[in-house]
Amino acid sequence: MIKFKNVTKRYDNGTVALKNVDISIEKGEFVFIIGASGSGKSTFMKLTMREEVATKGEIYVNGYQLSAMSRKNVPYLRRSIGIVFQDFRLLPEKTVYENVAFAMRITEAQSKDIKRQVPTVLTLVGLNKKANMYPRQLSGGEQQRVALARALVNKPALLIADEPTGNLDPDTSWEIMKLLEEINQRGTTVVVATHDKSIVDRMKKRVIELDNGVVLRDQEKGLYEDENKNY
Amino acid sequence: MKIRTTKYILKEGLINSYRNILMSLASVSIVAATLIIFGVFFLLIANFNYNLNIVKSQPEMVAYCEVDLDGASIAKVEQELLKNEKIESFIKVSKEEYYQNLKKMFKDDADLLKGMEDRMPISYIIKVKDLTQSKEVKTELEKIKGISSVNYSQDIINILTKVSHWMKIISAILTIVLLIVCMLIIANTIRITVYARRREINIMKYIGATDWFIRWPFIVEGAIISIVGALIAFAVVAYGYSVLSGGINSDISKSSNMFYLLRIDEVALRILGVYLLIGVTVGVLGSAMSLRKHLNV
Repeated sequence: MIKFKNVTKRYDNGTVALKNVDISIEKGEFVFIIGASGSGKSTFMKLTMREEVATKGEIYVNGYQLSAMSRKNVPYLRRSIGIVFQDFRLLPEKTVYENVAFAMRITEAQSKDIKRQVPTVLTLVGLNKKANMYPRQLSGGEQQRVALARALVNKPALLIADEPTGNLDPDTSWEIMKLLEEINQRGTTVVVATHDKSIVDRMKKRVIELDNGVVLRDQEKGLYEDENKNY
Repeated sequence: MKIRTTKYILKEGLINSYRNILMSLASVSIVAATLIIFGVFFLLIANFNYNLNIVKSQPEMVAYCEVDLDGASIAKVEQELLKNEKIESFIKVSKEEYYQNLKKMFKDDADLLKGMEDRMPISYIIKVKDLTQSKEVKTELEKIKGISSVNYSQDIINILTKVSHWMKIISAILTIVLLIVCMLIIANTIRITVYARRREINIMKYIGATDWFIRWPFIVEGAIISIVGALIAFAVVAYGYSVLSGGINSDISKSSNMFYLLRIDEVALRILGVYLLIGVTVGVLGSAMSLRKHLNV
């Protein structure tokens, strides 16, 4: 699903965010990407979304080869991935329904498909009753759930979440993570970048820890802190 | 692009225009004002050319008798014409004939001429032997008792043609300048709109909207602004002109001056067509210009 082969990313200002990184994530997995600020965590996510391009190495996401991809094909890559951001990124002048439907409109989906799929996915996140409200009328947790619904409406094989609980309180964060787990159970590959220690520890999924641009640890059922580390 | 997407984009463009209604209206007014100025020039030239062509189609020299001349005086006039050696020949135009010609010129407004048949003059179309002597012939004829005026068209034609030429040049320049102004106004409006919505545009990119999907609503917005401006300009110009031409044409027939303002329905379609064409072009070009520069999609 995601394959990073010897990937290096050097920004224009000279910073090397990733150094010769090899990461392989298979279909159906649930993976946490953790690391301090500057570890290369956000760069990893940006490269996966093709917001940035790798300086060296090959990246494969959901069957797309990113380095060879032309600019005009990037939208198609992004449509095949569901993306959730820390700041929700909902369109403020559209209702909840319209926000989720928008993801289908850009693929020129038929009205009847939209009318069927949007309520389904809103029900999944528990917001079908608030379909006609505007983002500003919702709490942070509700907005993130709308964002999640939007990410899912095109039934992507891969869902990536960049600090999805960053702006949320612990209880709401946990609800979001439970939703993500449910989505993963249904077959979607889920990759979450986070520095929320409690969530990582509670869920015990595969953990990939980045530090200074290299993979420090890659552990199934991992915790936030490496248990084998001697301090 | 499918039809459903086209409908969606048109709806988005419309909704977005409405969201910034004040700014949109400001731009609409400027487009309307510009097109009104353009329209005034257009009408001036159209009328000018129409009348110029009439003058051109008239015989070179016409001598008008005073109205209500009796038979004896008319005979005296004709004698004088025969005596003049510079005149090659002359043709008499009866009152009825003259009246018919005037009616043809006034076309549908001919009923303004009602009751004027008796006030038509007898006229003579003069053919001069040597054209260079035209001015002298005119002076001589004007001295004849019974002749009220002599029209010598070539002079007028020359002057009017020059005026027409300059009018066209000045209008063309002014029009181009005004249209550029329109395009810049729209481009600026769109630029501000794009800037105001940059967060949304960014979000749309990350959900996977293609560049064109993001661009089209802005182009629609630009086109709406200029089309609405064009329609307003048309309404103002059409109404103003129909009032004006109606008034002037009836005044003209009272003073028997040979000048006619085209009626509004003769020019309306032309003006509307030109306005809409300009409107759409300016709107689309203005937006596209701005998008290219400011929209990094």
